Amino acid sequence: MTKEEVQGAAEEDQQVQSKKGLKKQQKEAEKAAKKAEKQAKLAAEQQGSEEDDFSKDRYGVSAMVQSQQKLDRTLTRVQDLTTERADQLIWLRARVHTSRAKGKQCFLVLRQQQFNVQALVAVGDRASKQMVKFAANVTKESIVDVEAVVRKVEQKIESCTQQDVELHIERIFVISQAEPRLPLQLDDAVRAEGEGEEEGRATVNQDTRLDNRVIDLRTTTSQAVFRLQSGVCQLFRDTLTNKGFVEIQTPKIISAASEGGANVFTVSYFKTSAYLAQSPQLYKQMCICADFDKVFCVGPVFRAEDSNTHRHLTEFVGLDIEMAFNYHYHEVIDSITDTMVQIFKGLQDNFQTEIQTVNKQFPSEPFKFLEPTLRLEYKEGVAMLREAGVEMGDEEDLSTPNEKLLGRLVKEKYDTDFYVLDKYPLAVRPFYTMPDPNDPKYSNSYDMFMRGEEILSGAQRVHDAQLLTERAIHHQIDLEKIKAYIDSFRYGAPPHGGGGIGLERVCMLYLGLHNVRQTSMFPRDPKRLTP
Amino acid sequence: MPMYQQGNSCCSEHALQNGEVDPAVKALEARQDEIMRKLYELKAAVEGLSKTVTTPDADLDLTVSSSLCTQSISAATFQGTTDLDALLGKDQGALRDIVINANPAQPPLTLLVLHSLLSQRYRVLSSVHVHSSVASVSPQLLSCLGPRHADSYARHLFQLGFTLIWKDVPKLQMKFSIRNMCPIEGEANVARFLFKLLAPYPNDPALATLVDQWVDVAFFQLAEGSAKEHAAVLRALNSALGRNPWVVGPEFSLADIACYCCMLSSGSAPSAPANVQRWVKSCENLGHFSPAKGLVQ
Repeated sequence: MTKEEVQGAAEEDQQVQSKKGLKKQQKEAEKAAKKAEKQAKLAAEQQGSEEDDFSKDRYGVSAMVQSQQKLDRTLTRVQDLTTERADQLIWLRARVHTSRAKGKQCFLVLRQQQFNVQALVAVGDRASKQMVKFAANVTKESIVDVEAVVRKVEQKIESCTQQDVELHIERIFVISQAEPRLPLQLDDAVRAEGEGEEEGRATVNQDTRLDNRVIDLRTTTSQAVFRLQSGVCQLFRDTLTNKGFVEIQTPKIISAASEGGANVFTVSYFKTSAYLAQSPQLYKQMCICADFDKVFCVGPVFRAEDSNTHRHLTEFVGLDIEMAFNYHYHEVIDSITDTMVQIFKGLQDNFQTEIQTVNKQFPSEPFKFLEPTLRLEYKEGVAMLREAGVEMGDEEDLSTPNEKLLGRLVKEKYDTDFYVLDKYPLAVRPFYTMPDPNDPKYSNSYDMFMRGEEILSGAQRVHDAQLLTERAIHHQIDLEKIKAYIDSFRYGAPPHGGGGIGLERVCMLYLGLHNVRQTSMFPRDPKRLTP
Repeated sequence: MPMYQQGNSCCSEHALQNGEVDPAVKALEARQDEIMRKLYELKAAVEGLSKTVTTPDADLDLTVSSSLCTQSISAATFQGTTDLDALLGKDQGALRDIVINANPAQPPLTLLVLHSLLSQRYRVLSSVHVHSSVASVSPQLLSCLGPRHADSYARHLFQLGFTLIWKDVPKLQMKFSIRNMCPIEGEANVARFLFKLLAPYPNDPALATLVDQWVDVAFFQLAEGSAKEHAAVLRALNSALGRNPWVVGPEFSLADIACYCCMLSSGSAPSAPANVQRWVKSCENLGHFSPAKGLVQ
């Protein structure tokens, strides 16, 4: 080959190379061009959205509060949002109960315990489109911090507790986000049974509520119920303390069953077994023998009763009273009934908001009572029942349906939901009940009823060791098991009596509810051990 | 009757040297004390008798020492027998309790008077309660049925229960047997029912109707009417009392209780005509009306 040929061949190669190269280059150029285009578009978009979102720093999900800083910011309570605060700029923290977008606006209902208020974010010079969208997408039950102006409304907002104002949101931040799928809807949980059926809307059944108690307790009704229950406890303590009673704490792990062997929980106690106390009976009485004169205690009571009824729990809170008296056990009845009346009055005067809130979902007649409390004798109760057609023996105990019927008869005649039935037949009472001095068939014992259901069983106790032993033998109780109990009365014991009530049952009956689980935060029954 | 003043002159004159009084003097003084006491009693008895002469049906003036009063007043005031079982139904071996719901703004004076009469006739267990519909009630209203009976811890010892409940009711109401009796409304009607536990109405239907008519007049016109109506009733009363010692005739009746109490509550007693004033005094002498008077004062 000649030099020219070699050159030509090289040139040809180069040409071939440059063709490939060109193609490659072209491809790369195209790629680069596409990428640049994309980037330019994205940049343009971003610029575009950033340009539109002028309220970027007025909303968002806050970083988890790990106490990064100590803000000196006052948060207003939803309860305090009234027309007095019109046109004020406030901060508050509440849960998002509902949020829904409507065109350029988003309406929210913000809830705090028993109270809720309407709020809105509207596209304008403070809020951008993106902010409104964000607000509409906040999941239900999320906790938010909101800065807003309080505005008066012309028409009352019927669906909220704060009816005269609404909030115009300027800033909204999510403090704690809730998962989007809730196990139950709060609106359904607050809906009255009848209303649910009528409108074909859902209500939540009791088991679902109890399984997801944390959410169920957030409802306005639950908040009201347990606030009232706290009030009952408070009034019980205050009234008795004012009467000179001393609060005591009694042991719950005990060596012998106090009321009767059957319904007691056993626990393993190192190398042996012990029992959970069915009542503080034994220890209350020992305190009286120890000269404390008048005592009360508030504590758990454990009953291993396999009853699945509306009014039985395996664990409940007992409010117990025991006191020494001078000459007649009616001094004890008077003290107990006066305490109950003070509790009712205290609830009537200070917890009307809570009572009305509960009545919205569970309507009932207001609780009525007499002062001083009505006291009927057992014989009178039997006479009233017989007059109504019930056949029963003089010494027969009252069955639950008879108790309810008697409650209705007493309500009809005296218009009271609370009364005492005195002088029960001796045969149906525990062995430590003092017999009636004039009629051996009867005893110095009494029951108290609210809305026809028993809430307290009490009596004058036998304070004489010898009589106590006789009564125990009569009831065929193993004396060895109660030796310590009988011993407490051997060294001088004052005449005394008392009784105990169940906190959950009293609240349930006062509010006119129908299941004791509604008034027990985390109820225990034969089928439920958690939460 | 001249009253003898007890003098100390005997003592000082007869004091022995060591300061002690002669036992004979002591005996004399004791006899003197005894005679003074008997004189006082006699004086009281005569005064009482004099009132009886002027006030028909008054056994004794109750303002006099109660030790002279041995007979139950109402037993003498009301003739005729009543049977609790016939009126209230068979005794079931438990207290038969009459419940009265009254508004504290309008205390039922006639029922207080009837309660006092019932308490003298039967063993009545009286209780007063305040219903939760009423905020509070004056101490006078709480104690209007008198002091608590010492045996009130044993309800079954009593023949009749009288339970007064101060309650926010539009009209006074009485309840007894839920099964067999509907509630009785209105003070006049309850008064009629309670009166029948004390004594039957007059046998003569005309007289019985007259009693009822006066009871209605008392409650509708005296207690509630205008000043004009009051005046008219007082005039009618005056002429009725001109012919008879009591409103309906020679016998004390529910009409007297009703008219007296309604006059008391309307405050027209002081301005009443002569016969009415005399009759008012007679009523007061019987002593049954003190519960009502005590409340109005």
